[in-house]
Amino acid sequence: MNTEIKNIKKDYLIIGNSAAGISAAESIRKNDKKASIAILTMEKYPNYSKPLITYYLAGKLDLDRINFKDRDFYKKNNIELCLEKKAVMLNPQERFVLTGDGSKYFYKKLLIACGAKPAIPPIKVRDENESVSSLDREIGKIRGAFTLTTLEDAVEIKKYINDYSIKSASILGGGLIGLKAAEAFLELGININVIELSEMLLSASFDKTASGIIEDRIKQAGSNIITGQTIEEIIINNGAVLGLKLTNGNKIKCSLLIVAAGVLPDDAIFKDTAIKTDKGIIVNEKMQTSIPDIYAAGDAVKSYDILSGQPKNLAIWPAAVRQGSVAGMNMSGRPAIYKGGFLMNSVEILGVPVISLGLSNAEINASPAEIKVYIVHDALKKIYRKILVRNDRIIGVILLGAIERAGIYYGLIYNSIDISELKDKVAREDFGIIQLPADYRKHLVVGEGIEV
Amino acid sequence: MKRIFIDEKYCIGCRLCEIYCQVKHSKSKKILKAFREGQPDILSRVLVEEIGHDSFAIQCRHCDDAPCVSACISGAMTKNEKTGVVVCDQEKCVGCWSCIMVCPYGVIKRDISSGKAASKCDLCVDEEVPVCVKNCPNEALKIVQFPDEEK
Repeated sequence: MNTEIKNIKKDYLIIGNSAAGISAAESIRKNDKKASIAILTMEKYPNYSKPLITYYLAGKLDLDRINFKDRDFYKKNNIELCLEKKAVMLNPQERFVLTGDGSKYFYKKLLIACGAKPAIPPIKVRDENESVSSLDREIGKIRGAFTLTTLEDAVEIKKYINDYSIKSASILGGGLIGLKAAEAFLELGININVIELSEMLLSASFDKTASGIIEDRIKQAGSNIITGQTIEEIIINNGAVLGLKLTNGNKIKCSLLIVAAGVLPDDAIFKDTAIKTDKGIIVNEKMQTSIPDIYAAGDAVKSYDILSGQPKNLAIWPAAVRQGSVAGMNMSGRPAIYKGGFLMNSVEILGVPVISLGLSNAEINASPAEIKVYIVHDALKKIYRKILVRNDRIIGVILLGAIERAGIYYGLIYNSIDISELKDKVAREDFGIIQLPADYRKHLVVGEGIEV
Repeated sequence: MKRIFIDEKYCIGCRLCEIYCQVKHSKSKKILKAFREGQPDILSRVLVEEIGHDSFAIQCRHCDDAPCVSACISGAMTKNEKTGVVVCDQEKCVGCWSCIMVCPYGVIKRDISSGKAASKCDLCVDEEVPVCVKNCPNEALKIVQFPDEEK
């Protein structure tokens, strides 16, 4: 191993090689043709799209097609990509980042775009030959137990499935990652159990009806779904997963376990610094942290949430790209502002397209006077459309089965448009731009700066 | 770059733009064949909205700062820096519909026939004038050359 300590100087240093980091590097290069730019990543694969790792798992995409930027992106933009360089320490006073191999990367401007890490709930582990279980075993060190947030995770899972001819798997977590993993396993012909702590799937953004439709679809495809339960104990044999004991005492046999219980900002690089945080890095509208010349973007930050007016961890792809781009502009001396965003997701699960926007299940804990709900539900066609309105503004949307033109709602939420005249039409499938208030419609149809 | 300008007051809702768009994006490019071969339906990438006497045709605005491009998780949706046209690479698209989620004009469609691949206006790059504009009988769609914002 090469233990030589190297001092490397860069104008722009970026920690993280995903949506935010790459988008920042790209906008820096647009403004500054000459400066040196380096991206540090602990991963061994060049750019790939994290949301696509379950597509790789399912065999729909191979490693050559999982990139979201062209393979020559780094070369073309003269960006140095440093693979398998884990940033282990940040020294803001001396302005350097220490990497796992002992190199010091000095920077003029730094972007922290290190993303999120899997949240792992405390689960006991017991060897089947022993009576005592332990909480101290790292889940990731058990053979057959995996998290699923990186391409490397997906590659290892796939290898494990092939090497051991896995026929049964359990997934802890009925959120988006869990369900996309479930879809992948079903397509591979693996029997699965999805174990979800709350009473329904996709509880973060769905209501009972929408969740029920997805649950039926997944069950129909052959999966078993267990809600209101979590794993009490992982049972192992020779260091490998053998089965699970649930909180209700039931036992499940499985040789593969995926822990997909959500993600948290990866704080390893900033937790011991003076950078202001609150379960994520606090940034201003220029994506600056509390320390000059250090910027942050993506899943590790808390940025402005339009709907609550508060800082929020908007751990979604489109926000990461926008924030990265704004950070990159400001870092390279071109003022730009991130106006904020809100949570949203779009996926297709086993052929059912689903989009949720904003506070899509906020009515569950609110009074009917505060939030009005407009619903179109066609059980036969498996179409469900729900619009939540507060103070005559749309604050949340669930579209299932019929997602066409969903972005119109995105625009109405983002621009806080008064829809008081349209309430009876707003959830309908034929809802369109033509029904919108005249001035907003004119702004959309004619467009800014377009005149004849 | 070129942009299509929509003149709402001249649109009579005849939907010829939709028909010519469908033909243009069909295999045969011939009107009778196109609709016969259209199994499943060929999608028009321009969309006519109509209520009573009000109507207009709308297609991708090819935004400068396109939300669909930044929302795309597969890198399929890109804005061509030279032509300014926002295009979806059908090979790369995985059908997650993030673009549909954020397009405020609602002009990206799911192409069910391919099982994935978002379908949207490509500004008929190989034509001098996009077919929807060329075939609009009332000049409700016009093509306008805009000066490049930055170079």
